Amino acid sequence: MTTELQSGTWVNSKPPAPAQKPPRSEVGVLGWLRANLFSSVANSILSLLTLLFVYYVVSGLAGWLLTAYWEPVWANRKIFAVGPYPIDQVWQPAVVLLVVSLLFGVSAGRWGSIMRNLAIGLGALLGVLALVPLGMQAQLLMAGALALIVVGYLAGLKMPLRSSWLVWAWVLSLPFTFIMLKGGVEMPAIGLVWSFAPFVDSALFGGLMVTMLLAVVGIAMSFPLGVLLALGRRSSLPVIKGFCVGYIELIRGVPLITLLFMGATMLPLFLPDNWGNPSALIRVMVAITLFSAAYLAENVRGGLQAIPKGQYEAADAVGLSGFDKLRFIILPQALTKVIPAIVGQFIGLFKDTSLASLVGLLELVGIGKAVIQQPEWLGTPGGVAREVYLFIAVVFFIFSFGMSTASRQLEKQLNVDKR
Amino acid sequence: MATTVLPNARPPFYRDSKVIAIILQIIFAAAVLLLGWSLYSNMISELSKINNTSGSPLSWNFLGQTAGFAISEGPIFRPEESYFRAFLIGLANTIRVSVVGIILATLLGVLVGVARVSNNWLLDKLAQTYIEIFRSTPLLVQLLFWYFGVVAALPNIDQATELSNLGFLSNRGIFLTWPYLSQTGAPWLWWLLSGLVAGVVTAWLRRRALERSGRVGGGFLLGLIVFIAVAAAGFVFVTNAALLPETVAYDLRRGDRGTLYIDANDNQRYDAGVDETLAYVPITLLDGDGQPLGEEYTDGNGDFRFFDLPAGESLSWRTPSPVVVSEPMRQGFNFRGGLSLTPEFAALLLGLVIYTASYIAEIVRAGINAVPHGQWEASRALGLPTGSILRMIVLPQALRVIIPPLTSQYLNLIKNSSLAIAIGYPDLFYVARIIVNQSGAEVQMILVVMATYLSISLMVSALMNWYNRRVAIVER
Repeated sequence: MTTELQSGTWVNSKPPAPAQKPPRSEVGVLGWLRANLFSSVANSILSLLTLLFVYYVVSGLAGWLLTAYWEPVWANRKIFAVGPYPIDQVWQPAVVLLVVSLLFGVSAGRWGSIMRNLAIGLGALLGVLALVPLGMQAQLLMAGALALIVVGYLAGLKMPLRSSWLVWAWVLSLPFTFIMLKGGVEMPAIGLVWSFAPFVDSALFGGLMVTMLLAVVGIAMSFPLGVLLALGRRSSLPVIKGFCVGYIELIRGVPLITLLFMGATMLPLFLPDNWGNPSALIRVMVAITLFSAAYLAENVRGGLQAIPKGQYEAADAVGLSGFDKLRFIILPQALTKVIPAIVGQFIGLFKDTSLASLVGLLELVGIGKAVIQQPEWLGTPGGVAREVYLFIAVVFFIFSFGMSTASRQLEKQLNVDKR
Repeated sequence: MATTVLPNARPPFYRDSKVIAIILQIIFAAAVLLLGWSLYSNMISELSKINNTSGSPLSWNFLGQTAGFAISEGPIFRPEESYFRAFLIGLANTIRVSVVGIILATLLGVLVGVARVSNNWLLDKLAQTYIEIFRSTPLLVQLLFWYFGVVAALPNIDQATELSNLGFLSNRGIFLTWPYLSQTGAPWLWWLLSGLVAGVVTAWLRRRALERSGRVGGGFLLGLIVFIAVAAAGFVFVTNAALLPETVAYDLRRGDRGTLYIDANDNQRYDAGVDETLAYVPITLLDGDGQPLGEEYTDGNGDFRFFDLPAGESLSWRTPSPVVVSEPMRQGFNFRGGLSLTPEFAALLLGLVIYTASYIAEIVRAGINAVPHGQWEASRALGLPTGSILRMIVLPQALRVIIPPLTSQYLNLIKNSSLAIAIGYPDLFYVARIIVNQSGAEVQMILVVMATYLSISLMVSALMNWYNRRVAIVER
């Protein structure tokens, strides 16, 4: 058969063949299995070996989990939450939780982005805890905090709230937390003593509350210091630059634990006599802040380096002073860029607060050690260390994993914006 | 034509940015010095209040004083030795756990990182689960869990779990079958060394020949073959030719234990420091008629022990092969031979390796993913085999991304080894704390410890930077 070409066009006279279904081995469950687990002989062997390993680990772990003795954890749930805090004053930390939840809600509504991710995570955790039979009051508290997140979120969405007010609210929430937990202000050195409840010694703070407090204070207090160090490291003045480089590299070169011991035993030596003796909690906070500032400075420096030179030049060209240039042009851009890195650092610091137990603080791990030594469990065959430490690990995991997931989603969103 | 004449004069000094910069720096330096001086003087006055003993409060004399405490592991240390030597033992223990930890963490991390990029879904998810779990929990909690929850919960030493021929697990320690270089191992080491030289030279020549002829390949395989051949030949030769000297003798103490040694001064008595002990030599216990009753190896110090060794029996020994695989053997309430790890070392190593490997795995994954897919495709288009693509195209590019963060993970592992204090492994920080508690030299020891960690960090960074420069892109 010959086809005649007419005026340069050719038309296929046959109707198009009907589309065939893909072979069954390429789609659905079978296709997925084939593509992902059994694409070749070597891959199949690998899959089977992995399956065997997973089965071995999971069955062993499940067998132990079912027979494990969880009574030490359950009986001490209040201690794990707030430590030996006086039981009739527990409403004070509860108020802090409610206020922080409200702030999270409002920030989520107003700012979105990572705050929304974090608020969702916190809300989910509170919701689950409200359903666990922890005790009537605790459950009501969790439910109340969850409700405040939702209310705050809606308020943040609807109300024309100024962003700077919200920042100030967060900044003030830190001294507020301290006053609430302490039961007042106790600074006899400057003649300021006021209380709304009996004072609570900070040695009675403990549990997850202190773990959180240390991490938050560590990041918040180290923030100004870290930004200054980062700016100093990029300064053109050799003395300032040298000092900042020296500080950052010294701190990053030694383990946190040396700084903690230094704070715990040497801080009182450094201070003048009339300053009194800072409590163990304060000493640890100072050490963690000094430690964290060096790492934060490096993160911020990364952000500063990512700012194109043109931004500096443009700011100079419109005649901004050095300080205004930093405040309005450089730092806002640099700090936004390093939010994921700072969240990562916060997670690291959150985990590192466990070291405070080595200098005698009753944060989560310190409480765990105390619980293991309670006389009730001494007779337990095999001890209760496994259960207690596993529980603590799970608590840390929930928060760290939650925060890193929130941060990763933010990075994804940022990358989407870039495209 | 109108021209503006710019004043040639310098601005007044208070508006000259150079002068302002200098003044600012002087003020800053003065402030730092003032702060430092006030902290220092506070410290000195506080210290002299606490210990009103003679001399300055920051004396370094304590380093020479008698330590008076024992260190449970590491190089041999007697309590009558000095604080300074105790500190060195701690340093040696830190280095030991760090070196072993870095090697094992790298191996595990690379394995998991590669699993993470494999196209096997199950393996990928397994690796991901491992990484997430161990990255999201504090190392200290993991260490406490491994030590108090796992190692301490192992059976007692008299019911130690046996891992077929690999070793024993007990709550008093882990005892592993381990290869050691024996007395004849020293000559074999020379064979190994010459094999290494021959292998490297062969590989280099082969590579040059290949480059000249324009073919692909690096000559690594040929070099390896040459090395293995020399090593094997040396092994056979040493095993057959080497002999223990004629002057070998043994001493018996307390009836059933003794030492095998080369009698250097020929006085038929073991003199520590003069006579050389014989490690890992197979010895046979013979009864009065010359019939063998039992056989074992001497341990690392040349010591042996036969239970219920009756009088009138004798020992014979054979020349060992260069490498002796020493199996732990139950003797009384302990094990002899093999490699014994204390529970503290085992738990610390396990914790550090598993934790650090989860970070290294992510670094390896990021490094491999950082090589654009086009590089693979282009190499395949050139007809390179997969091995060559990995070795010559992908790995060199991935390494550049991997090395800098890997360095900081190594440094983290070294610094994290200071958590040994939580489980009682006598590392440098733990020993330093004991010294502080005994001597009261708080400030000095903190300075020494910080300076030591800083020096280790700087040395490791220098080493890794040197390696990084080697693999970095050579820009022409």
